[in-house]
Amino acid sequence: MRQGTRVAWRSFSQLWQGYLMPLNADAPQGGQSAMSVRWMVWPAVLFTVLLVVFPFAYTAVLSTQDFVFGQDRKFAGLDNYKRMFTDPEYANAFRLTFLFFFLSLILQLVLGTWLAFAVNRVTWFKGLIRTVLISPFMLPPVVIGMMAIVILDPSLGVANYLLGQAGIAPRLFLAHPEWAIGTFVLIDAWQQTPFVALIVLGGLQSLPGRVFEAAEVDGAYGWRRLFYITLPLLGPTLVTAAVLRSVDLLRFFDIIYITTRGGPGNASTTLNILAYNRGFEFLDIGYASAIMISISVVVLGSVLTFARLRRAVAW
Amino acid sequence: MALAVAAGAIAGVIVAGPASAQVDWQKYKGQEINVLLNNHPWTQALRDLSKEFTAKTGINVKMDVFGEEQFRARLTTVMQAKTGDLDGYMSLTIREGFVFDKAGWYQDLKPFIENKALTEANWNYEDFGAGLRSAHTINGKVVTIPINSEGPLFYWRKDIFEKCKVPEPKFLEDIPEAAKALKACDANQGVWAARGLRPQIPYGMAAFVNNMGGSFTTSEGKPGLCQEKTLAGLGMYASLLKDYGPIGAANHGFPQVIELLGQGRVAMVHESSNEFSNIMKFPGRDKDLGVKPLPPGKASGVSKPVTIGWGVAMSPYSTKKEATWLFWQWVTSAEIQGRLVNNGVAPPRSSVFNGEAFKKWSSELPIRQAWADALVEIGKTGTGMYQTNTPRIPESRELIGRAIQEALLGQKSIKDAACAADADLAKLE
Repeated sequence: MRQGTRVAWRSFSQLWQGYLMPLNADAPQGGQSAMSVRWMVWPAVLFTVLLVVFPFAYTAVLSTQDFVFGQDRKFAGLDNYKRMFTDPEYANAFRLTFLFFFLSLILQLVLGTWLAFAVNRVTWFKGLIRTVLISPFMLPPVVIGMMAIVILDPSLGVANYLLGQAGIAPRLFLAHPEWAIGTFVLIDAWQQTPFVALIVLGGLQSLPGRVFEAAEVDGAYGWRRLFYITLPLLGPTLVTAAVLRSVDLLRFFDIIYITTRGGPGNASTTLNILAYNRGFEFLDIGYASAIMISISVVVLGSVLTFARLRRAVAW
Repeated sequence: MALAVAAGAIAGVIVAGPASAQVDWQKYKGQEINVLLNNHPWTQALRDLSKEFTAKTGINVKMDVFGEEQFRARLTTVMQAKTGDLDGYMSLTIREGFVFDKAGWYQDLKPFIENKALTEANWNYEDFGAGLRSAHTINGKVVTIPINSEGPLFYWRKDIFEKCKVPEPKFLEDIPEAAKALKACDANQGVWAARGLRPQIPYGMAAFVNNMGGSFTTSEGKPGLCQEKTLAGLGMYASLLKDYGPIGAANHGFPQVIELLGQGRVAMVHESSNEFSNIMKFPGRDKDLGVKPLPPGKASGVSKPVTIGWGVAMSPYSTKKEATWLFWQWVTSAEIQGRLVNNGVAPPRSSVFNGEAFKKWSSELPIRQAWADALVEIGKTGTGMYQTNTPRIPESRELIGRAIQEALLGQKSIKDAACAADADLAKLE
């Protein structure tokens, strides 16, 4: 975490120094054009402060209050955070969030990379195939959620009907506590794997051909070429895909909310669902804010981790 | 708290309103009001009618309609912001009334009702029965105007019962027996469906506890799920779902229950009176269904169903209170409530419930008459209390629902789940 903090601080310092330094080294310091350009940055700074910094800071302030909608606020210090660490529901939500995160990320990166390799070899109907590929992740989550209800409901859905026609016993899918998170992993993989595949495909097509020619000359083919040349060269691309998917996976909310509302029992109550329930069902805004801050810290931590990883795999 | 919603409506004495000056319905012409509504059969019917209000008054009504949970999330956020952007909203006082009143989120409607320049004499507030008016009044403030009365009812397929020669359940204890007999008669026929989603369970389940002679609280007012008779009711609800319910029942709310009954895939459900009009849209159901309040307990002799009623409220932060009142006055008038009956909205006004139009509509089909009779019955005997003694009502209902789900999913026995829930419920007091 200290490493991560240093990275964040360094980035911030560089940004600030960049602002203080003349934008054009040749321009006279404090010159009219440099000043004008500098002022042009302010709308972006203002935008960031208003839409990013302020909501986050406000949530942090709320997290230190005993604040239930409709009642007087009281300062609670770190009580909401202490409560979080002794709350079995929070522990369960934390476990489920990370279970979903790791299973989904691994599955999507593996399948997405495989899919990119497969598509890269296709020489016909390239445009059509890419259009079909992007269609799942163009769908809004509410549509995916409704589709999941219609298809996967054990009593009303078409999935069990089709399984039944094939002589396979019905499955509970989202209705079984032990299957719920796994089913969400599969739903998200269906929707988002093509996104990973497109990123990897882009990276694959921009790899330097000379390296592969040299590898062929040296007799590196098949799996050896894949593991020792292609995948290492794809490292930065894969990390980029991992960063983008990580942020999304840690924010995953809509489909769970639409399909199971965190159930059955609390088998799919992830941190986002828990925070939503505490905040909007029970109006306990202080505690919900503390949970949201904890999620934000996790998201920030994962981004910083991947940022370091990206530098490690850069070539 | 006994509500006696429909009873209040039916027993209400029609008192002639005070003589008033003519209301100028065009006075606020050109204004636009924003109302936030729960997606409900009442709302669905009202959406089509609101154009008539605009034609009558020149006031444009912008309706935002959300599913119940999203509706509440949006409502609480907007009200907390104390914005004048929202003028009116639906509210279930039995659930959130005291919290909203404490927060100052209700405009007292009494001055509007008494304002002769704003309220037609024949609008007649007393037409809503005394019990009903009381349920929509908090700390002396008229916080909402009633728009419906509703409660869970027992729907059963008469044709399937006849085919299997199973008698109609007369007592609550007969339902598991009937379920067993129906299953034995035709293993492919679904038998039972009810709400299994955690927050939705208590609404459908409470009458099981009450009719078995149980209570959600002890005689000292403490959480009492772990009491013998309460456990019997909780256990029956969980067992019916577990042993005879559809697979995946733990994720089922009213849409799935209605779909299963409508499609003919189950023989019995316990579901809201509100969904009557939606059930009747399925072909054949108007002829083969029976409907009545959940049968009384055989041993206890108790029949205590759940009865609640939605109302319409005004935001105290609204800058268009008069225009908003005109709209609420119009939608709660006898004329409009009478027309909403055709959409299966149970009218809270005595004059409408006892009126010729409703009687004619009810008598057209036996199932409609049975539904109307059931509403009268649950209005007389019903209660809106289906949680423990706490101002944190949604949390209390969630914990009660959790106990049922744990038993349904086989994670705990009903006794262990209920006793554990009592400990958590005690923290909410």
